[in-house]
Amino acid sequence: MPSVSNSETVVEEACLIARMGVGDRDAFRELYGRYSSPLFSLAVRMVGDFGQAEELVQDTFVKIWRNASAFDPRKSRPFTWAVTIARRTCIDHLRKRRHQPVTTPFVAEEAVTHGLATGENVRSSAEGREDVERLRGALAEVPSNPRRALELVLFTELTQSEIAERLQQPEGTVKSWIRRGLIDLRKAITEGAP
Amino acid sequence: MIAKTQELACLYVLDELSPNERAAFEARLDNDAPLAALVLELESILEERVRELPQHEAPRALLERVEARIGRRAEPETARAMQAPWAVIARWGIAAVIAVAVSIIAVQNLRRPASPAERPLLIVGLEPHQSTLAELPMTGQPQGADARFIQLASLAEQYWEKPEDLPVKMAPTSQDGRGYALFDPGSNQGFIAIRQLPTAADGKRYHLWVLDTATGQIREAGVIPAADQARGLYFFSVAPDTAANSGRLGFFVTAEDSSAKATDKPRGKVVLGDRTF
Repeated sequence: MPSVSNSETVVEEACLIARMGVGDRDAFRELYGRYSSPLFSLAVRMVGDFGQAEELVQDTFVKIWRNASAFDPRKSRPFTWAVTIARRTCIDHLRKRRHQPVTTPFVAEEAVTHGLATGENVRSSAEGREDVERLRGALAEVPSNPRRALELVLFTELTQSEIAERLQQPEGTVKSWIRRGLIDLRKAITEGAP
Repeated sequence: MIAKTQELACLYVLDELSPNERAAFEARLDNDAPLAALVLELESILEERVRELPQHEAPRALLERVEARIGRRAEPETARAMQAPWAVIARWGIAAVIAVAVSIIAVQNLRRPASPAERPLLIVGLEPHQSTLAELPMTGQPQGADARFIQLASLAEQYWEKPEDLPVKMAPTSQDGRGYALFDPGSNQGFIAIRQLPTAADGKRYHLWVLDTATGQIREAGVIPAADQARGLYFFSVAPDTAANSGRLGFFVTAEDSSAKATDKPRGKVVLGDRTF
C-alpha cells in the first residue's frame, strides 16, 4: 500500500520548497520548523560542538533558501536534499579544520549526547525512544565493517579513499561495504517493521 | 538488481558520486522505475538514520539570525524561479489547493518518467456499477514530463470548474456517488474528482484502484482522504505497469476495512466504477 502519510509529507515539503523558490517567507518558516531540529542534531553529530553546529545550520538554511528554486523533486526527496546541503556544509567546515580528530561513530554518538546535551534533548517520548531502539536494533544487525564504513561516509568529512586508508582496505572494498551497510540496514528495518 | 547498480544507488543517495557520475545516474533514473524506487527507499532509510540521531532543538534565536541574513524581500533568484518548470507546477498546485482543495492521496514516485508523447490522456466517468471511458489527445504534443503534467493538471482544474465540459456524460445526480478520473498513462499520474460520495462507514475507507483489462493487473492508487464533504479533487500516482502488453485501463473505488494492513488487492465492495470494466 502506498505510504500515504509519508507521501503527503514529502509532497507538502516539496511544495514548501517550491513556494520558497518564489520568495515565500512563510513557507520558509514552516520548513524551518520541520527541519531545524534534525539538521541541527546532524550538525552536532558531525562536528561535535553546539556552537559550531549552530553556525553551520545557519549557513545551511541560508543555502536552502537561496537554492530553493533549483530544487527538483524528481531528483531527491525534500528532506534528503536538505540533509545533503547540511552535510556538504559540515564537510566543508570539517575539512578546513583538519586538525580536529574524526569522531568515532556509535561510541561518539553517546559521548555527544551525554557530554554536550544541555537538557534540550527533544527525543523524550516513549514513541521516540521506540524509534531509536528500533533503528539501533536494525543497525546492530548490520555487520560491523559495512556499518562502520556507512557511518564514516555519512557522518564524517572523510573521502572514500581516506576511509579506505583508515580501515586499511582497498577503496573498492569500502564502496562494497558502504553498499552492504545501507542495503543491510534497509533490509533490517523492513524485516523489523511491525 | 546487480551489486554494481545497488552500489551506485547507495553512493548517489550518500552524495558520493562525482558530478559526471551523478548526471549519468540521474539520466538512468528517468527510465528505470525499479532503480528509482530503490533510490527513494534508500533515501528514506538515510532520512530515518538522520532523524534517529539524538535530537537537539536548534537555539531559539537561530531563525531570527537566518532571516536577517536572507533579507526581508524576495531574493533575485525569484525571477528565475518563476520560469522553472517545477515552480510552475508547484504554483499550479498551490493555487489548486486554495481553489478546489486538491489533496494528494498517494505518491509512489515523484520522479516522473519521460512520457511517450503519443499516449493520450484517459478520462473515466465513475458511477455506481458503471464506468465510461474517453481518450483525450494531448494538445500541441507537449515535450517532456513537466509539460504533460501541467496539461494534465490544467485539465483537471478546468473540468472541476466546468464539469459540463467533460467528454464523458454521467447521470446529473446520483445519491450513491459519482466522479471522474483523469489519468496520464505515460507518467502514471492522475486526478480523481469526487462530486458525491457518501461518508465512508465506520471502520471503512475508500481506495482507488487502476485495472489493466488485458492482464488483470490491479494497482492501488491510494486512499481517498476521509472528509465530511462528499466532494474533492485529488492527485494520485501509481506504480508503473509491469506488463509488457498493457490494455485498456479501468478505474474503480472500493470501501476497504481501515484496519486491514495489506491492501495489495481490492477486497471491499465497489462503490464507484466497475471492476469488470
